[in-house]
Amino acid sequence: MSDSHYVNDKPFDPKSIEVLTPEQEAIYLAPQRKLIWWKFKKHKLALVSGIFLVLIYAMTIFAEFLAPYSVESRNSDFTLAQPHDVNFFHNGEYVGPFVYGYDKDLDLENMVRIYTPNKEKVIKLNFFCSGDPYMFWGIIAADNHFMCADIENPVYLLGSDRLGRDMLSRIIYGARISLTIGLVGIAISFTLGIIIGGLAGYFGGWVDLIAQRLIEVVQSLPTLPLWLTLVAIMPSNWSQIAVYFAITVILGLIDWTGLARAVRSKLLALREEDYVLAARLMGASTSRIIGLHLVPGFMSHLIASATITIPTMILGETALSFLGLGLRPPTVSWGILLNDAQNIGVVALTPWLIYPVIPVILVILAFNFFGDGLRDAADPYG
Amino acid sequence: MMRAMFFTMSVFTFTIATIVFASAASVIPLYEEQVKAGKLPPMKERLPLNPYKVDFVSVGKLQGKYGGELRLLMGKAKDLGQITVYTYARLVGYSPDYTIESDIAEAFVVGDGRDFTFKLRKGHRWSDGHPLTSEDFRYYWEDMVKNDLLGKKGIPTQMLVDGKGPTFRVIDELTFRYTWNKPNPAFLPALAAPSPLYIYRPAHYMKQFHARYADKTKLDELVTEKNVRNWGALHTRMQRQRRPENPELPTLQAWKNTTPPPSTRFVFERNPYFHRVDPGGNQLPYIDKLIMSVVSKDVIAAKAGTGEADLQARYLQFSDVPYLKRGEKNNNYTTKLWSLGKGSQIALFPNLNANDEVWRKVLRDVRFRRALSLGINRKEINEVIYFGLAYPSANTVMPQSTLYKSDYSQMWARFDKEKANQFLDEVGLDKRDPDGTRLLPDGRRAEITIETAGESAEETDVLELITDHYREIGLKVYIRSSQRDIFRRRAYAGDTLISVFNGLDNAVATAAMSPKELAPTDQAQLQWPKWGQYASTNTKAGEPIDTDGARVQLQLYNKWMLAQDEQERTTIWHNMLSGYADQVFSIGTVNNSRQPVVISNDLRNVPDDGIYAWEPTAYFGIYKPDTFWFDR
Repeated sequence: MSDSHYVNDKPFDPKSIEVLTPEQEAIYLAPQRKLIWWKFKKHKLALVSGIFLVLIYAMTIFAEFLAPYSVESRNSDFTLAQPHDVNFFHNGEYVGPFVYGYDKDLDLENMVRIYTPNKEKVIKLNFFCSGDPYMFWGIIAADNHFMCADIENPVYLLGSDRLGRDMLSRIIYGARISLTIGLVGIAISFTLGIIIGGLAGYFGGWVDLIAQRLIEVVQSLPTLPLWLTLVAIMPSNWSQIAVYFAITVILGLIDWTGLARAVRSKLLALREEDYVLAARLMGASTSRIIGLHLVPGFMSHLIASATITIPTMILGETALSFLGLGLRPPTVSWGILLNDAQNIGVVALTPWLIYPVIPVILVILAFNFFGDGLRDAADPYG
Repeated sequence: MMRAMFFTMSVFTFTIATIVFASAASVIPLYEEQVKAGKLPPMKERLPLNPYKVDFVSVGKLQGKYGGELRLLMGKAKDLGQITVYTYARLVGYSPDYTIESDIAEAFVVGDGRDFTFKLRKGHRWSDGHPLTSEDFRYYWEDMVKNDLLGKKGIPTQMLVDGKGPTFRVIDELTFRYTWNKPNPAFLPALAAPSPLYIYRPAHYMKQFHARYADKTKLDELVTEKNVRNWGALHTRMQRQRRPENPELPTLQAWKNTTPPPSTRFVFERNPYFHRVDPGGNQLPYIDKLIMSVVSKDVIAAKAGTGEADLQARYLQFSDVPYLKRGEKNNNYTTKLWSLGKGSQIALFPNLNANDEVWRKVLRDVRFRRALSLGINRKEINEVIYFGLAYPSANTVMPQSTLYKSDYSQMWARFDKEKANQFLDEVGLDKRDPDGTRLLPDGRRAEITIETAGESAEETDVLELITDHYREIGLKVYIRSSQRDIFRRRAYAGDTLISVFNGLDNAVATAAMSPKELAPTDQAQLQWPKWGQYASTNTKAGEPIDTDGARVQLQLYNKWMLAQDEQERTTIWHNMLSGYADQVFSIGTVNNSRQPVVISNDLRNVPDDGIYAWEPTAYFGIYKPDTFWFDR
């Protein structure tokens, strides 16, 4: 007997042991993007929040179309009117969505206007109709609205303010400034944070030393007095929005330090990894190594801090405008709407003026949930 | 016979009742023990021989009871000065019908409008018991105004006629005289002003801080101790009359501050030597203490609405009324609506000294200003913001003033878009952009920036309404709000086109009051800051007037300054008012709007309907808070 054993001369196919179904194959070989999406989908709350945010940002784009009225449109006969109730049945008959018009009474004893729904005055809600004219994005003249009602017989789904302007429309327009202006600050702080932190972490040595000291100096600046000073020294011929924009930019210039620290420490750890060495030996440039090999490694952290910072910026606008330091009327933002609601009488007599606080809370919550989901999803192997 | 007897009887009982009442109240409970112990003289000795007897009958006041604390809310510690406005004891002051009467002075005589003799009340004392004499007036004039260090700022402007001060002469212990070469009609109104010219100081107290009288080493010690630059600074700090920051400083007001700042709660105690009495001869004030709490001005309405103030109007706005009304039942107060005494609640001031040449020419054209005035829908402003309770009016005197004529308030104050458009076309703004905005003669769009100090929501609301009104006559308005200092500086420098502020401070003027607000006399006048500065600095700064309308106003004002009698002054006032109305130097909206005044239900003698104004009523001043009392 020869000392022989059997050798299969066919090439070995490792997949033959565990045969993957096409479905399994799709999973195992899926690109990272897909994995992230799958993981994200599982986080239901984050998904809902994400959709909500997409919708609300879409709302800021189409504000002119969605708002029943333009920002300035007002009916001085109906100041501080309470929200209309939407009904469907009039005298037992279905007539589609409608509201009852108000009758106004002046209470000269208490100096309040009393609005009572008049069961005779049926104001039907029209959809996709012509209303207040506007310049869409400042270029296209149009007058189409999702819902409209003549300002002579106004429909206030969220009540009206002191001058008889529709709160709903103002909240929609206010979202524009409140939700967008802070993003600029974040963009700046992120760019700076990643670049400076990345350089410090990757190179170490004296680059790191300088970056660290710079971070410490910037971090030790007190922010609130700084804001106050900035508000005071802004050229007075700048428009309110320009001033606020400038403040956000400067805030962004200060806000990057925390992120830079995190990026640096992550990079310090990651640059010792073998794959970085391999990349370097293969002649990859620094920017390629940082951008392509290192940054994706802590994407989840970046996303987490971004989703925390965006709500901070939105709240910052609201808080500053509320205190009268940020934007001022006639600019419309959520903070300004809330500033109008500062008066003690509002809480007692006209609570609908506080409604802008609801979108503020919802957006902040949505950002937090969304960020939570994204952070989990960004690291799909973890 | 029976009837006669009944009559006699009733007179008799009445007399007895009065006597009993008077004698029963002639001891102030707060001082009872001190008087018994001999620490304080009895009331009769504390009063001047001839005290100021407040007229209760004509204003329907009731004789009251002593005691109680009046709680007031203020928005900042600086408001300490408001107390001297409220208490309003002046050398001479305004009576309820806005004529000047003697108050601290027993009598005054004016000769030829240029010679003022005052006589003090015999036995009148400072709050520390030291007699008030001519020496206190001499001290002010010779040791303060004429002193090199203290008088650095020179003679107060109200005491200057043609740049020259008066000669001062003490006649006897209680009589003294100021004499100018020419009439000085501004002198008495300045003494009676809410923030008056104080021409006296408690000399016996102040001398310890004055280098001429004080012991040098002692004074130096004090200067070091208080950490001030020199004795002058020390003197200035210790003598403040308007803001009673120094609890040691003797006063002539009804209440005296006992709390040194900084504090958030200031307690004012009654002045035991106050010079006024009620018809029963009882010394005023009735109320023992004023408690002034300093809180954030945003919560004052909330606090007043929960009954934390006994008398409150400052920092309350018309829009607070529904809230205040709601709290009335549970918190034992009533909200009264007084008339606000401003020429216009909110007025626009076209800057005739604007730097932009094209705009300046346009703003100086009276037709343009008239168009601005005709383009405002005052009825809507009134209804939306003031519940229809105010009067649509130009910025002029109110109907309550004896000088009022409907022409002044209505001449260009109706709403007439057609006429406004016609005027604007005539001025040269007849070309328009496709969106309807007019074009300036040089082709720029007629975009006006209206600047505001951004202090009240009411102002913003009115401006938003005006923006809409002006859009309809082809003017595009931008509103820019800043802080008050920046706002003023920009207007003074000519950077502002149109500014917004409240109208005339004194809208219930009489002919004896100065018509200075109607002529370029002060830099603070937003429609002509540079001309005003030119006049007030004696041509040293600013620019000379170069339009006829404004020049006429100033000439009239100068004539008023030299006028000899009431009739001449009245004529000049009317000429100035009609000139101002015709030229539309400022654009009024509404006046006579309502000021909520929260009054405790226990507080008596506060009028239900008053005029709430800085001048001449000094807010509560001429209603004499020393006669208010608590019925508890």
